[in-house]
Amino acid sequence: MPAPLHLDHPEHHGGHACLWVALLPLALFSALAWGVLHHELPWQGEVAWVPSLGVSLAFRIDGLSAQMLALITGIGTLVFVYASGYLAHEARRGRLLGVLLLFMLAMIGAVTADNLIVLFLFWELTSLSSFLLVGFKHDDAHARASARQALLVTMGGGLALLGGFVLLARMAGTWSLSGVQAAAPAIMHDPLLPLAVVLVMIGAFTKSAQFPFHFWLPNAMSAPTPVSAYLHSATMVKLGIYLLARFDASFNDLPLWESTLITVGTITAVWGAVLALRERDLKRILARTTVSALGTLTLLIGLSTPGAGLAVAAFLFAHALYKAPLFMVAGNIDHATGTRSIDHLMGLRHAMPWTAAVAILAGLSMAGLPLSFGFVAKDVMAVAKAEAELFALASYALVLVNAIAVAVAGVAAIRVFWGPPEWPRGKVHEAHWTMLAPPLLIVLLGLEFELIPNVANPLLLAAAQSISPALGQVDLQATHDLATLLSTSGIAVGIGLLLFVFWDHLHEVLHRQHWLDRYGPAALYEALLHGLARLAAWHTRAIQHGGLTGYLRLMLAALLAMGSFGWLLTVPALQLEWQWAPQGWAWLAACVLIATGALAAVSLRDRLAVLMASGLIGYGSAVLFLFAGAPDLAFTQFMVETALVVVAASLLPQFVGAAPSPARRRWRATDLALAVAAGLGCFVLLTQLAGLTPDTQLADWFAANSLPEGRGRNVVNVIIVDFRALDTLGEIAVVAFSLLAAMPLLAGLRGDRQP
Amino acid sequence: MELMLAITISITVAAGVLLVLSGELFRLVIGLAMLGSTVNLVVFMTARPASLTPPVIAPGVATLPADAVNALPQALVLTAIVIGFALLCFSLVLAAWLARRQRHADVDRLRTTEPAASDAVKPPILED
Repeated sequence: MPAPLHLDHPEHHGGHACLWVALLPLALFSALAWGVLHHELPWQGEVAWVPSLGVSLAFRIDGLSAQMLALITGIGTLVFVYASGYLAHEARRGRLLGVLLLFMLAMIGAVTADNLIVLFLFWELTSLSSFLLVGFKHDDAHARASARQALLVTMGGGLALLGGFVLLARMAGTWSLSGVQAAAPAIMHDPLLPLAVVLVMIGAFTKSAQFPFHFWLPNAMSAPTPVSAYLHSATMVKLGIYLLARFDASFNDLPLWESTLITVGTITAVWGAVLALRERDLKRILARTTVSALGTLTLLIGLSTPGAGLAVAAFLFAHALYKAPLFMVAGNIDHATGTRSIDHLMGLRHAMPWTAAVAILAGLSMAGLPLSFGFVAKDVMAVAKAEAELFALASYALVLVNAIAVAVAGVAAIRVFWGPPEWPRGKVHEAHWTMLAPPLLIVLLGLEFELIPNVANPLLLAAAQSISPALGQVDLQATHDLATLLSTSGIAVGIGLLLFVFWDHLHEVLHRQHWLDRYGPAALYEALLHGLARLAAWHTRAIQHGGLTGYLRLMLAALLAMGSFGWLLTVPALQLEWQWAPQGWAWLAACVLIATGALAAVSLRDRLAVLMASGLIGYGSAVLFLFAGAPDLAFTQFMVETALVVVAASLLPQFVGAAPSPARRRWRATDLALAVAAGLGCFVLLTQLAGLTPDTQLADWFAANSLPEGRGRNVVNVIIVDFRALDTLGEIAVVAFSLLAAMPLLAGLRGDRQP
Repeated sequence: MELMLAITISITVAAGVLLVLSGELFRLVIGLAMLGSTVNLVVFMTARPASLTPPVIAPGVATLPADAVNALPQALVLTAIVIGFALLCFSLVLAAWLARRQRHADVDRLRTTEPAASDAVKPPILED
């Protein structure tokens, strides 16, 4: 049994041995910062990997990549610090931190890769590590189901993405990402381009939890909080956004690209925000608003104005800077009180003042209020939307989305921390410094970016210019003038405050809408999963039923089908040119004998009669051999057939003694059809055979060498005992072994006792 | 004449298949024996036996007669007949032992290694 989190020990004694792990992302972050300050972007490098397939380990870091890298390593450092505190008493923290590191490296690879195959590999690696992290509490069935869901949805999208990449690479003639971007204008009218673009979008939508693939993200909250803060708010779910932003400059002129992104983004933003009102779990509320924010980002990418690139870069940054701390706040509350349900939490500021301070600052940013980086992002977004002349519906939708964000910020920052103290456990302590410093640092950073924007400006501008190359030098400075403030945020804040006040009523109304659970995409996913299991069961029943005769029928039918297919494919003609001379009455007699035996064997009822009839076939063959220049064969066949009939007849009483099998008075129609088809197939095969001229090289060699080499005059005998002596030895061994194998069975048959 | 032979072989194959599918243990083995004999015939036919002269070098002569039939398929069929005989005998003994042990000779009721009838995923096939 793995040790559970010791929630009842707020004071951590030791257990911070894992703090050093944070040094790796810290080192990477420092290197990145140093590099950005001293070297001009973009940086690129390439190592040949599979030159014959045009796949090389190519990496390219431009402004967008650098921004993602800053998030991955910067927030990564703080998440690792936070995790060392959060997991101080978790026995398996080594495993969690190891997978988290793996994830971080995969993310770094994914956002820097300049080769489609390399990008895909790292992309899938992030899905895989996300699966391991979501299912970290593997003794919890819900966590397992959530992990599987996240894996199936994102990996399914990954397959679509691979298909899109293959199509793009074929059209552009290169696997290089920048090569595809450069070739984009040339392939703009390729008939396959829409398919490729749709496949790439499906991949990005599953990863970034866009409607209708959004349902996996709230369920992924089964993961430990550091994972939720890192993967499911700041980095991994932004990978889809990254990919869309990466291709945006290339496909912006495609109406399909633009309209799909705007539609899906708007639906996701609204739907995610509305569903946030249905949740009571603080982490799930935050996850729903993450879905909403990701939808907003998708929508912004869909806008084709230069300002949209800046808005994407700014909001990407702002969202990570407030959502990660809010998750950490939820984690601290969970850690201290043992619950995340907002019904049972109030007035926590008395017990957890520092956590409350973080929540307030992050909430300000989420609500887009002054004194926060979220305010700057809101401002830039408003400019972008005004430039693009977004159609009215989407604009109203975004106001609603912003309002709900304000309400959620209120819930996370005010509702939980203000009011009369109320929480399920008696004594609540403030979290350890390792769980306070990281979120505090992030929100202070956001504050500083707003007040002194010059620090973040170059990075954001570089990122924005990679998304929208048309963007010139823009100053990223929030306007503090009151009129703009009111027009951009005023309405949203007003509605948001109303929503916050009536939160419980709205929750009741939405909670009663059970049809949402029955008919949503999540229900479809469940139905598909169960349908798959049912299909497998049906398939097993139909194909692997355990009936031997059924297996035989199936194999025979498949063989015949494949044979006739092959025949029709090559020479669909009977070759009826027979070149060898007739042998007269003896052959006719032999054939009559064989055919009579065969027909009698299937029509007789008595087993002994069937045996005798089958014996006729052997004797008929012997006659045939005799009158075709093969006396040796004829004698052997006579002997063997007689011996076989004797053996079978002596064993017949064993079958007669057994209980009678269900009598078959008539043959089944399917069996008759199969038999006739097999006979016809055989006939066709023989006619094909007759059309071929035999190769007599070997026969001639044996005929010539039989006397000088083998010193024998009967060529058949010389072949058997001389030229192929070893084969004959093996044949004798088979006879001996079958006798040996039959002996114990025969011993069991002897006498009356049951074997 | 060859057409007649081809038709005969085809009839035997059809009859053999029918016996194999009969679902009865004894007939199954007999059907296999019939199919074996037929395959031997087919292999033998590849020699295009155009004469009655066996591939034997007469005493005092150094070479085969010019119209002697192809010796190679004969050697192959000879081997096949003997091995087929051995395996058929063993199959007969095995089938007899099985029929006695199970007290029936119904191929489709030989289900000792199959899942139980109550198995949710693999129920037994229905008796027709």
